[in-house]
Parts: sequence; C-alpha cells; structure tokens
Amino acid sequence: MLVAALRDLQWRRRRFLIAVLGTALVFSMTLVLAGLSASFVNEVDRTIKTTGADEWAIATGATGPFNSSAVLPAGTLAAARRLPGVTAADPFVAIGATIPGDTPKHVTMIGAVPGGVGSPKVDDGRAPRQPGEIAVGSRLGKDIGDTVQMGDKTLRVVGTVDGSGLYGGMPNVFLTLQDVQGLTFGGAPLFTSIALRGNPRGNIDGARLVTLTQTKKDLLQSLGSGRQTINFVGVLLALVAACIVGSVIYLSALERVRDFAVFKATGTGTPALLGGLAVQAVIVSLVAALIGALLALVLAPIFPMPAEIPTVAFLVLPVVAVIVGGLASLAGLRRAITVSPALAFGGA
Amino acid sequence: MPSLEISDLVVEYSSGGYAVRPIDGLSVHCDPGELVLLLGPSGCGKTTLLSCLGGILTPTKGRISFGDVTVTGLEGSQLTEYRRHTVGIVFQAFNLVPSLTALENVEVPLRAAKVPRAQRRARATELLVQVGLKDRLQHRPGDLSGGQQQRVAIARALALDPPLLLADEPTAHLDYIAVEEILRLLRELASGERVVVISTHDQRMLPLADRVVELVPQFGKAEAAEPEVVHLAAGEELFAQGSFGELIYMLESGEIEILRQLVDGSWELRATLPAGRYFGEIGPLFGMPRSATARAKTAAVVTGYSVRDFRQRIGPQGMGDLLSHAGDAPAEASAG
Repeated sequence: MLVAALRDLQWRRRRFLIAVLGTALVFSMTLVLAGLSASFVNEVDRTIKTTGADEWAIATGATGPFNSSAVLPAGTLAAARRLPGVTAADPFVAIGATIPGDTPKHVTMIGAVPGGVGSPKVDDGRAPRQPGEIAVGSRLGKDIGDTVQMGDKTLRVVGTVDGSGLYGGMPNVFLTLQDVQGLTFGGAPLFTSIALRGNPRGNIDGARLVTLTQTKKDLLQSLGSGRQTINFVGVLLALVAACIVGSVIYLSALERVRDFAVFKATGTGTPALLGGLAVQAVIVSLVAALIGALLALVLAPIFPMPAEIPTVAFLVLPVVAVIVGGLASLAGLRRAITVSPALAFGGA
Repeated sequence: MPSLEISDLVVEYSSGGYAVRPIDGLSVHCDPGELVLLLGPSGCGKTTLLSCLGGILTPTKGRISFGDVTVTGLEGSQLTEYRRHTVGIVFQAFNLVPSLTALENVEVPLRAAKVPRAQRRARATELLVQVGLKDRLQHRPGDLSGGQQQRVAIARALALDPPLLLADEPTAHLDYIAVEEILRLLRELASGERVVVISTHDQRMLPLADRVVELVPQFGKAEAAEPEVVHLAAGEELFAQGSFGELIYMLESGEIEILRQLVDGSWELRATLPAGRYFGEIGPLFGMPRSATARAKTAAVVTGYSVRDFRQRIGPQGMGDLLSHAGDAPAEASAG
C-alpha cells in the first residue's frame, strides 16, 4: 500500500513537515558533533605535520613533546644529533600561554629554531626568522602585520597556519626558540624536547624517543573523555531522532486504525500495510537527513568550536536515517498488526 | 451457481466477564441472485453476522459456506484471498480512506490483488462511472456528499466483481434522496450469481428483499395476550440468558434465582428474588435478549404480563422509576 502511505504523507503534510524539521535539526547536530570530534583529530594531525619532525626526543618521564614541561639536559641535543639515522635535530619547546586582552586567549606557544626542525610550515606569509616575529594559527583571528602581545614582548605576525590548534580549538602560535626561552625560562637555553628528522635508532641517556603516532595518541588522550562524551551525545541524538519520527508515525498509525481495518477487510495483506508505514518512516528520516546535512553545512562554520564534518559522516547519515526510520516505525507497525478488520464495521 | 448456507451458527464473546451470544443457532439458506435483508434493532447481531460472512470474525460454532467454499474452515492467507476475491463489503460509515481520491479508493482492492496499473485504473473508472460518479474521480471523500461517498464505497466493494456483496446499514448516514439512489443500486447488484446481504434496522427496505432474516423474534400477539400464570418446580428454568421473550414476570410465590453465565461456562448468582418482585422487564421493553437466566429456587408461581399490560399495571410513574434505576444493581438483577 505504497500509494496510501505516500498519500497519507501528503494528507498530513504539516505534521510530517514538523517532524522532518525537528529530525533534521537533530541530524544536523549529530553531524556537527561528528565534525567536532573529527576536528580534534585533524588539528592534532595538522599541528604535528606543520612541525615537519619525524620523531621527538623528550624527557624520560614526559608523555609527549606538546604536553611536557620537563626540560632536557643540555647534553641530550648533541647525543640526539649523533644517533644513527638522524639527519637533523633541533631543540623544541611547546608550552601553554595566555595572550592578554579584554578576552584573554589561551594558546599553545611553540618555539623552534628558525629554519630548523620544528619550524612551522605556514600557509600564508612565512615562518618566524628572528626574535620579535610570530606565526599564528588562523583561529587566533590575527592577520599578517598585526601584533601580538605575549608577556613583555610585542611580536609581529609574519605568517598564518590554517586551522592550527590543539585541545579542541585552542590556537597554536609559533615563535623563535629564543623568544620562547625568553618568555618561559628567563632566557636560559632550555628546551623540553628535540625535534628529529630522519629515522633515529638507539637511545639517549635521560631521554626517550617518541614517534608521530605516539605523539598523536598522547595529544588525543587528553581529549579522550571529551570525544567519548561527544560520541555518546551523538548516539543520544540519533535516538531522539528515532523518537521524533517514531512518535509521528505512531500517531499517524493511531489515526489510521480504521483505514488499516478497511484495508484488511478488503483483502490487503498485513505485510503491505507494514511496508507502507515503514516507507513513511524512512521517507521522513531520509528527507530529514538531507535537510539536516544542509543545515549542518550552515551551522558548522558558525559553531564556537571547530567542526570539520568528515565526508564519511554525510555518507553514513542516510544509512543512520534508514535505521532510525526502521526503528521508529516499530511502534506503528505493532499497532497496525493488531488492528482487527472487524473494526471496519464500526459506525461513524 | 454459488448459494450462501449458514448452519446452526453461534457467536459468543465475553462482555465484562459474562458470556454474550448475539447469534445463537442461526440457520439461513440464500440462493444466487438474491437480495437478503438481515433485519433487527441495534445490538441484535446483524453486524456480527456480516463479519462472519465476510471472513472477518470466526464464529464460536456452526458453519458458513458460499458455493464450494467453507468460509468457517478458512485460515490465514486463505481468508485474505476469500476477502479479496469473493466478498465485497460496504461499510456503514463508508470508511473511505480520506487521503485517497475516489479513484484510488476504488483501486484499493485491485492493488491488493496486484491488478496491473492500466487495468486497475480502467476498472476503477468503469465502476465509478457505473455508480454515477464520472465527474468525481479525483475528488477526495471530504469533497463528496454522503450519498456519493457511499457510491464510492459500493464501487470499491465491486472492484473485483465479488459474488457476495455485504452491506452494513448502507443507508444509515444518508438523506432520503441518497437512500433512494443507494437502494436502487443495491437492488440492481443482486442479480446473476451475486448474493447481496444487507443488514438494516430500517423496515422500509423490506420491499427490496428477496429474503428477510429477522434476527429478533417478532411478538406481534404479545401486546394483546392475557396474563400467563406459570407454575415452576424447584430448579426449573423460566427463561434462558440470551433468549428473546415477550413477557415480564411477577413472582407470586416462592423464590426465583437470577443467574448470569460467565465466559468459562460457570454461573454467577446475581440475585434471589422474593415473592412480590417483578423481573425480566428490560428485554421485552427494549427488544433485547434476556441478560440472565431465571430459575426457580423453590417451587414458585409467576405471572407473565405483556409489555402493554405491564405498563398499565405499574403506571407512568412506575415506568419512570424502572427506567431511571435500570443501571442499578436490583434492576440489573431483574434479568432483562
């Protein structure tokens, strides 16, 4: 009874439209959350890639080059450069900092030797070459030529890096190692890690080597509970979508009890009726998914946190919509099954 | 040539835990081409009988056959096939699907029977033209008058040219002009091999019928009957639950038990009446079956009065009191 299902959608179009819009909003939030979760991973990948390092040497007790405040002994740099497989090694510092202002901004301050390993690959402008210069992640909202006040230093923006940040959208700023040491260690030539290029083998006393994969894992670990929460909320939103579609389909089924009885009494098989209801639910869900996807594209850029919705999420959404529609129609299906054709004999 | 045969049909269901038998031992034979009227007031089992004939309700006992098909022996998909190809049903409240056009409503059984689109459309159009709705094909039920809706319902019932057409109070919601149109149409349809069964409480339809099945016994003589004195031995039954009766009884001496049968077949004692009480009044007054069984607990003498005599005996005030207390326990115990 596909035609009856489609005609019923037209007949009760306002109600279905409300359900579609509600579900679309929920689906769009699901997509934005998926984008949020994906952006956590993407920003880590970008930050690591920006430095151009192949591995890092960090203090033995530290967890990663971007999370460590433990300084390495001075002799480790020379030892790192002597390791087999190492083609280049430079000191590196990554540490949290705050840019003062009406609305102070927390950033990850990254210091590298200009032109050395760890020096950022910028998307616009150039990397800092000398003290007093800074390259910033685009989310900081600064353009080339602007100035940034950090501690007692006024730094001039010479380059920007698209989407560079950590910890869920906190922007990175790239300075010369000398400026970072000045701001952090009172000018002492200290560093928290060594950025290595090549394929290092062997050990360094007082330090350990970490791969890019380990570095990524370390950075994502700090966002673990946040990502789990987002994924959990995503599942909850899918259930909310199922509830919205389910309630409207069930309500429709309740109002169509007499119709179902007439269909059965006139020889329509129950499977045909159930198919019609399921088709209704799936159509509502799929249209909601389409509108939700468009809505997500509008919402994602204005979302306070970076939300980079992966293409796969758009591809999976229709599948989720069909599953949601299928689940949502269960209550209505159950009602339709139990309708007795004898009900058709009732009066008006 | 398929004839309709109903043999010793019993339909029993539970109502508030009590056994109710709207149809009890009905037997009817209908020849092909006949228009059969099921006549009786509301609640007498007309619709129940139609449901059984339509393969929608399974009777408790008895047999229904149409031609070679034993309807009461069908199950599952066989029943669906029977409903689809053998029976057409015209419902009391039209029961058209509001979201579908007249044409699409008539197409419903054709779709169920998987008739190809072109044939389906042609057949539905042909039927709507036949019932005089050529210019209403694309109208939804809400845009049609009651008579037009009923004609669409008849067209739908005829979609697969069923040899058995059932109509449940087909004129109940129609004005007199529409009634005339529908009656003429139904009369025309009862021809050839087709049997048309119509349930109604409207005696004006009697001239249409080839056969009339009265589901409530007529007690024409009861109005003029003399009071009837009945002597009962202990344990003797005066009347049975579900039976129809014309007399209202006054207990002159002895005791009468009012019993109601439960679904499991056991009996529930509703009241034990002392001498001086009347009982069994609701059924004869309203043309309904007795709602309980009356049985003598001891040797008893009762006098049975016709409804008219009973009215005269208790007077207008007494009737008012009786009706206003009809739902109270003592009146309920009076066994209708």
